[in-house]
Amino acid sequence: MSPHSPGTDQIDTLLWIGFVVATIVIVAVNVALFAALRRHRGGDAPREMVGGRGKQLRVGGALTVFAAAILVLSLIYTDKARETPANGAAGLASAKSEPLTITTTGQQWLWRYDYPNQAFSYYKLVVPVDTTVELNLVSTDVIHTWDVPQLAAQADAVPGKTNHVVFRADEEGDFRGQSSTFSGQAYAAMRTEVEVVSPQEYEAFVNRQKADIQAAQDRVVGLIENGEVP
Amino acid sequence: MSARPEVVVDGFPARRPRWIEVATSADHKDVGRVMIGASLGFLFIAVVELLLMRLQLAVPENTLLTPVLFDRVLSLYGATAIFLFAIPLALGLFYYLAPLQIGARGTALPRLGQIGLWLYLLGAAVLYSGFLWTPTEAGVNPLAPLSELAFLPNNGVDAWCAACGLATLGFVLIAINLIATLRRMRAPGMAWRRLPVFAWSAAIGSWLLLAIGSVMLAAIVMLLIDRNFDGVFFADGSGGAPLLWAHFSWIFFTGAYMLILIAALGAAAEIVAVFARRPLVGRGTVVGSLAAIAVIGTLAWMQNMLTAPIGIGWMYFAMIMSLALIVPFGLILYNLIATLAGGAVRMRAPLLFAAGAISMISIGLASEISHSMVAVAWRLHNTVDSTAATHFALVGGAVFGGFAALHYWFPKMTGRTMGETLARMSFWTMVLGTLLSFAPLFIAGTDHGQVADAYKFFDGTGVGAENLVSTIGAFVLALGIVLTLVNAIASRNGGARAGHDHWGGDSLEWFTLSPPEPHNFDVPPDVRSDRPMRDIRLAIAHRSARAEEAREAQPVA
Repeated sequence: MSPHSPGTDQIDTLLWIGFVVATIVIVAVNVALFAALRRHRGGDAPREMVGGRGKQLRVGGALTVFAAAILVLSLIYTDKARETPANGAAGLASAKSEPLTITTTGQQWLWRYDYPNQAFSYYKLVVPVDTTVELNLVSTDVIHTWDVPQLAAQADAVPGKTNHVVFRADEEGDFRGQSSTFSGQAYAAMRTEVEVVSPQEYEAFVNRQKADIQAAQDRVVGLIENGEVP
Repeated sequence: MSARPEVVVDGFPARRPRWIEVATSADHKDVGRVMIGASLGFLFIAVVELLLMRLQLAVPENTLLTPVLFDRVLSLYGATAIFLFAIPLALGLFYYLAPLQIGARGTALPRLGQIGLWLYLLGAAVLYSGFLWTPTEAGVNPLAPLSELAFLPNNGVDAWCAACGLATLGFVLIAINLIATLRRMRAPGMAWRRLPVFAWSAAIGSWLLLAIGSVMLAAIVMLLIDRNFDGVFFADGSGGAPLLWAHFSWIFFTGAYMLILIAALGAAAEIVAVFARRPLVGRGTVVGSLAAIAVIGTLAWMQNMLTAPIGIGWMYFAMIMSLALIVPFGLILYNLIATLAGGAVRMRAPLLFAAGAISMISIGLASEISHSMVAVAWRLHNTVDSTAATHFALVGGAVFGGFAALHYWFPKMTGRTMGETLARMSFWTMVLGTLLSFAPLFIAGTDHGQVADAYKFFDGTGVGAENLVSTIGAFVLALGIVLTLVNAIASRNGGARAGHDHWGGDSLEWFTLSPPEPHNFDVPPDVRSDRPMRDIRLAIAHRSARAEEAREAQPVA
């Protein structure tokens, strides 16, 4: 999966660092274990106690340095991922222009997107390319997680709280995602799609959406007034 | 002339059938055996549930199980694997062995252990009698507010609360007894510094369980109040907070994860030393590391909440705690391997499984390093990558580590040995099965973002091959596990007879008969070093050599 927002490439880099570290650790431990079992299988008399406190301290020290190095790398890249628009308020502070704010509501088992001009859409989010977008995540029922891995970090929509996702898509196209916190029966089907379009198409989309919603509401109001619907 | 009185029986004959004697016994060995046996039974059930889920996920958009049925199997699998298998297996081993290892003739509060066992079995009965009405469908960790009455109005979650609450209460009571026993009933000379590593695991694990079990009990009671008495602990609004449940439950689940690894690594440390025929390298370091894991590991609970709105400072706190775990885990693995490297290795079934545990745990923990990095967790949280990492660590700990302990202490518990050939077949099948079933999920989670706990995945998401391989692997793993369970059942009465000190161990459980008598020791042993059984062996050899000398010195006629 290729990253398409400034924050996600930092996440990608750190993911690779994690992958390399994990591979080194797995190979080192298992090769050492295998060699130890192989070399002395039923072999010569066992050695009595070897090494002492000094050896333990050296190994412990080496492990501490190793852990500290990983910690420093993680802090650097996590911080970069936050400052470039990916997650949270720190991303917003560094955004060049006023972000496009979209209220995103998780509900069993659908995402609802409310655009600034009072238009809304379900399932599919349409955003303009090269524009900083801030999603204000809320939930009307249980905990959901908004997860479109190519665009942004995962974030939970928790009832009673507002969480934030910030991203800036660098390319037009469709990006798919799926809710990633167990939320009941239709959890597996709670997907979403982000369509990144040109600013003109975005304007056209939200205006058309608003007009369609208005027309539908007018029709319902008309039906009620005519007495066709109670 | 009257006959001299003679002792013609050793011990009182059982007054009632054997099973009633065991069921009503407060002896730590009877309680421990029932607990170990029951937990292995629940391992089998958990494996069946895992296979059901893997069958559903074998092909995209499968309709074998309905969504609700899948959720129920998933929830039961989580509760069974953690509350009914992994924790009670560790605790049962602690409870059987720790008193023997410290040279005690029993436990300090035997009735507490007995009621603990029955609370656990009662909890299990409640969870599975849930089939009579509606089983829980709230997931492995029933996160509020999904687990609240408004979203799951049937009584499944109540049954989950009752079942896991009863079992957890039982675990806490047993832990209290173990703490009291280890503190007060050590044999003369058995100073803390001379405690065998597995007895240290028992002490550390019990303290840990006392802490996290209490937290979970409080959380479960709060959830029950929410559901049945209009409480608002975890409901949004009215002062409640959904994240409160997340904090409480993750403290427990993270602590339980650490408990399982502490038990497995403690058992592996004993086995590695005995089968390398040398003392454990860095004994003090290993014990200190086990204690550090209990504290630091549990403090890393927010590693599970890195996508929640909790503030970046807390995320960094969780990351520092989980990365700090590299040091104690690394030190333990280093010392276990160093012990093997300088030893004269006997490659028998217990060592094979212990080495398997070390290997699988290393894969799981190395993958957890990535999950500790905050930004990576933002990508991999709740994907099947985290499922794979958790399963490598916990299958490595609870199943491989548990089986290592089972093979090692089976001769002590039953007086028989488990079949070596079947053990080897089981081991290699399990290794293949574990790698096949969980390694592909790393790819599916990292590359394609497949989410965990979902009842289906969609066609065209690129994870078809990975899931099919994983399903096949799950069946291989299940076969391997069943082979060892069959081996244990068949060997209970049919295995080769074992001596009292079958492996040449250094700790005091090998000083008792196999199986031990109810009072454990005729004479409380006098402990002079951290290898008391070796001292006893040397003393006996010394004495028989002297007796031999004396006999040779007798005149022939």
